[in-house]
Amino acid sequence: MKPEFTPDEIIATCISRRLRDGDIVVQGLSTPLTLAGYILAKCTYAPNLVLASAVGMAVTLDWKPLSLVHDEAMWLDRPLRRMNFPSICREILPTLEPREFLRPAQVDRRGHFNNVCIGDWRRPRLRLPGCGGIADITPIYRRVELYVPRHDARVFVEAVDFISGVGHVPDRPRDWYLVSDLATFDLHEGHVRLLTLHPGVSQDDVQARTGFPLQVAQPLRQTEPPTAEELRLLREEIDPLGIRKLETVGGAARAQLLKEIIHREMQSQRRDSRTYPTTQ
Amino acid sequence: MTDKTCTLAQAIAAIAPGSTLAIGGLMLHRRPMAAVRELVRARIGGLTLLGATLGLEADLLVGAGLARRVRTCYFGLEAFGLAPMFTRAASEGALEIVEETETSIACGLRATLARVGFIASPAWVGTDFLRVRPDVRTIADPYTGETCVAFPAIMPDVALIHALEADPMGNAILGGNLAVDWELSLTARTVIVTAERVVPRLSAEADLLGQRVTHVVEAPHGAAPTSCYPLYPLDAEAIVAYVDACQSDRFQQYLSAWLET
Repeated sequence: MKPEFTPDEIIATCISRRLRDGDIVVQGLSTPLTLAGYILAKCTYAPNLVLASAVGMAVTLDWKPLSLVHDEAMWLDRPLRRMNFPSICREILPTLEPREFLRPAQVDRRGHFNNVCIGDWRRPRLRLPGCGGIADITPIYRRVELYVPRHDARVFVEAVDFISGVGHVPDRPRDWYLVSDLATFDLHEGHVRLLTLHPGVSQDDVQARTGFPLQVAQPLRQTEPPTAEELRLLREEIDPLGIRKLETVGGAARAQLLKEIIHREMQSQRRDSRTYPTTQ
Repeated sequence: MTDKTCTLAQAIAAIAPGSTLAIGGLMLHRRPMAAVRELVRARIGGLTLLGATLGLEADLLVGAGLARRVRTCYFGLEAFGLAPMFTRAASEGALEIVEETETSIACGLRATLARVGFIASPAWVGTDFLRVRPDVRTIADPYTGETCVAFPAIMPDVALIHALEADPMGNAILGGNLAVDWELSLTARTVIVTAERVVPRLSAEADLLGQRVTHVVEAPHGAAPTSCYPLYPLDAEAIVAYVDACQSDRFQQYLSAWLET
């Protein structure tokens, strides 16, 4: 029997399978799905994955289940090295090029992406939180890796409203990858190309929810689905509160899910030594 | 003067309207909430808010009408969503936005520390940031000829930093999550350190040196509802309550109630 899985689970699985043992990975701002994917790699074939985050300003070899309330504890209870923000940004990122999966608000056919504003910058329809350090790393990194939890023609647009992440650069081939809840993509000859379809998704489904004509890899394969063990790890060990799912819902449903997660975490009686303040 | 202890009101009175106010901590962690509350009480306005990231503390200042401009690479409430008052004001064009990224802030503060006018980086090349920051110039690397961005020095007028422990000179312990507070404490002209407790002598190694600190204020629970690792965690319910209040147009009621606390 094939295991049933949800969009967050196949995205986390795809993220985890891109990593190699010994890689250093970064969790950006408000991206629990990536952290679930990184920890999944650590629990399966990449035990020496080195984790770094903007949350706790530290690098660590240890992990804890995802948390909303105690999210710093994973990074700070037993750090390999404490860093500060400018040190991470000026010393770690340009030299080590850590792996980081970025979530764009818009991405276009050239692979450029946007986390600054929807509409004209001077009078946007929606101001977004900002791009953090995406504009700093994407001009220089050899790899650009993205994820889109809700594939939609409002995300996949002909041209982004503001380039805050650099995709295709002429004469500089690089490894550009995107996983959405429908499929995976790469850049081929400077154009976003459909690489694999998730189980149960058709090419027409993907094109209908993409705002530009897609190129298609030949042959077009199916994404390898999560295994039963990967699903068990995600659901029971890595993220029993389901925090990763916050990225796959919006609006009122997201607000409701957030309240449920907080309630579950507050009610959780299993406040063992993995959480502070008992550790200090 | 080596004893810089004072009341919160005395410290906040040192902030001039129109200042560039740098906010310590990061995300929803160790933000100087008690100091921000006093700032709102004192109604010091026309501020430029500067932070590596800005969140709840800055959203309250925007909602209270005290911010004219923001300079940050991320303004939001992380898992709790968009910062409601910022998002509204910025989408209405009611707030001037000076676009920053991690590198422009880090280079800007480090340029000030190094006493040079800029630090160069390959960041931003190929993005739209240079288009909306015409004050930021590019240069040719004098050795390789490659195009670099010359990120200008940043000099905050005031820094607000919350610590776990401080001594009267302003030496302080930050508790692990260091954010950008070291750089802020050395670059701002006025450095206000609030601390869970003020002690004659620190109990562990200092994360901040007090040399440039101008005010030291004891403010127990002064980061709440943001976290103060490892003393207290994020008050997630309080942050949800804030978002709910803003979304149902009850920001002013929320603000009034918060000022009473």
